[in-house]
Amino acid sequence: MKGKLSHSLLVLCSLVTVAAVMVGCGGAPTQAPAVPTQAPAVPTQAPAGATQPPTVPTQVPAAGAINLKFVVWSYGLDIIQDNIKNFQAANPGVTVALQDFSWLDYHDTIVGRFTANTPTDVLYGSDHWLQEWASAGWLEPLDTHFPVVTDYVKDMAPYAAQGVTYNGHVYGLPYYADTLIFVYNQDQLQKAGFDHPPATWEELTAQAKVIKAKGICNYPMIMAFSQQEGASIEAFTAMVYSRAPSPGSMFDAQNNPTFNQAGGPMAQTVDWLHNALQVDKILDPGSLTTAEIDQVKSMQAGAHTFTVFPSYNLAELNKPASSDYAGKFKMALMPGSSHATEGYVRFYALSSQAVARGPDVLNAAWKFLEYFGGKTNGQYVVVKRWAVQNGLGFGQLPLWSDADVQKAFNAWGDTSLLQQQSKLAWVKEGLTPFWGTWDVFTRAELQKAYLGQETTAAALNAMEAKWKELKSQ
Amino acid sequence: MTAVTQSARLKRSIAWERVYPYLSILPALLVIALFTIYPFAYAIRTSLFRYILTQPKSHPFVGLRNFIEVIQSYYFANSLRVTAMYTVAAVVSVIVIGFLIALLLNTRMRTAGVLRVLVLLPWSVPAVVSGLLWKWILNSDFGALNGVLYTLGFIKTYIPFLADPNLAKVSIILAHVWKEAPLAAIFFLAGLQLIPNELYEAARMDGGSAWNTLRYVTLPLLRPTLLVVTVYETMVAILTFDEIYVMTGGGPANATALISWFAYAEIFKSLNLGHGLALSIIIALITLVLIILYLRVLRPEESME
Repeated sequence: MKGKLSHSLLVLCSLVTVAAVMVGCGGAPTQAPAVPTQAPAVPTQAPAGATQPPTVPTQVPAAGAINLKFVVWSYGLDIIQDNIKNFQAANPGVTVALQDFSWLDYHDTIVGRFTANTPTDVLYGSDHWLQEWASAGWLEPLDTHFPVVTDYVKDMAPYAAQGVTYNGHVYGLPYYADTLIFVYNQDQLQKAGFDHPPATWEELTAQAKVIKAKGICNYPMIMAFSQQEGASIEAFTAMVYSRAPSPGSMFDAQNNPTFNQAGGPMAQTVDWLHNALQVDKILDPGSLTTAEIDQVKSMQAGAHTFTVFPSYNLAELNKPASSDYAGKFKMALMPGSSHATEGYVRFYALSSQAVARGPDVLNAAWKFLEYFGGKTNGQYVVVKRWAVQNGLGFGQLPLWSDADVQKAFNAWGDTSLLQQQSKLAWVKEGLTPFWGTWDVFTRAELQKAYLGQETTAAALNAMEAKWKELKSQ
Repeated sequence: MTAVTQSARLKRSIAWERVYPYLSILPALLVIALFTIYPFAYAIRTSLFRYILTQPKSHPFVGLRNFIEVIQSYYFANSLRVTAMYTVAAVVSVIVIGFLIALLLNTRMRTAGVLRVLVLLPWSVPAVVSGLLWKWILNSDFGALNGVLYTLGFIKTYIPFLADPNLAKVSIILAHVWKEAPLAAIFFLAGLQLIPNELYEAARMDGGSAWNTLRYVTLPLLRPTLLVVTVYETMVAILTFDEIYVMTGGGPANATALISWFAYAEIFKSLNLGHGLALSIIIALITLVLIILYLRVLRPEESME
């Protein structure tokens, strides 16, 4: 009896298992299993300048109203909500539901959302993710539905226009665009006996050694080179560009690697960072685990003299009463022979899901995109607000002439110098659907070179090999 | 009641008795099938296809190619080494420290009762929170540990615990042991309290020292508990992800990138679901082999007879 029972149980279990396997294996390949859309529970840290994000009010759309799902990373949520309120007031019948995720998890979260088809109509995008998301069919080109968007492109800085374009189509309107700038603590520099910032990386090394020797800072420089920091490649690229005579120092026009030339700008940059970390010890070793927010806080605390980061962080550093050194942080052109830097753009993008929802939703989404990234009554209202209130850079060139913007920027920086640096800004090279995957690989390889675990040449060659492997897939 | 009716009723009753046990476990079995067997089967199936998330219209069958590519990848051998080192260090530390704590809690000291509750606090903290706590404690600019060591004069400059490849490894092991040792302690404590006092008395009467008592009485009788703790902690160590994600992100220079980290990275960073699942299955198989080995080496003596 017992044996019969066991046998029957085994048969039942087997039947259930076979049924489950058949269900799992049956049918044509479909979408991947749903992945969690909520990012891991890392506390949401807003970059410098943002206030504590308030709770997002639940929007209950009126009957017949179109509800747009708007996904962002967590920055300036109170300003975003206010902008949404204003948009909704100007566009009755359209409501916007906002959802935010930490910047550090944003890319992975969006990949999960699109894979699982979680409703997403409009969202933040970035130039270094555009090819990846557009080639997957997740983003929709704006110019195919709204040709007027090409008029906006004429207003854009070159790096911004290049950053929102893929395969000849425009995929977004800039939320903000910025350049990586070189910042120094003027007080500490003067205390060390210098009356001007360094014009070259070698001069920076010399100044940093003096600053360190005089006990002003233990590590005069800090960088946000954490392996988790998605923007670390931008600061590194800015340093490479500053040594390069012209664009093309990383990839040629066919997106073939040119960066691993011995003695080239990238090799020089990696060598400099290695020496700064291991030999001269002027670069904080904690840079390898520092993200952008920590970088700004450390500078604010006076722990370091020099750094490279997006220009909007200078606004936070010089915010009155934010620290003992508020107002003492200055900008200089990127050290290096060309003083060039990297320019990037983050933009409002339209998802293909919105298009699939029908023409009414598509039109509502365009109204949203144009309100936030375009003009209202002839003015870039929202973009200008970000610039004036938070010091965010912009890709819309006419705003450089705006008196309010100039006044706001001059309060924490130097508008003419910012504009000068902006004119020397080049877009990231090699932007392809697999650039993001390659970027993640390079972070670890570069860190190995900085730490001396492998030579510069070995690291760059590994990066080239990885590029070729991804390109062939 | 006629004989025919009685016979039919009897047959229905017997049939119901036979079917009822299976029906009663069917709901639980369906839940298990849905949340365990089905996802596992789907994962195995997907691992046999090329599945890159940014190429949603092309998923060709590639057989074992994903497994081969993952094993031949740049990170596999190194991450296996890192995982092995981490697992050995973490499991041994958890067992030793957990056992010592259990011995302490098994005494008759006044505060033993309160300590038994308090000792579980680290284990009750979610892994992500634990990782964040340690990330702040070990911070190279304002971490509490650096502050204490500096104030006491042990160091002249702050140490970048999480930025040095070797110290980062030690740091994640430390965070892991802090969180897991309490649970091991409770397991061992339960095991210790099951050992009859008469055995200790007999050992004392025979003139056994504390060390001999521990070696010949306590440890053999704790073998089943040791097996459970070892198996569980090995699985937890191999599958550690939350703390790594929060504390180091696999860095610096992939020094703390365990094999489980790369399973995540393949899917969410490289957007290659086929590779990620293939790697996950390899991890599951490695874990299974280890468990079988443990069962053979550490199985209780009663089951050997």
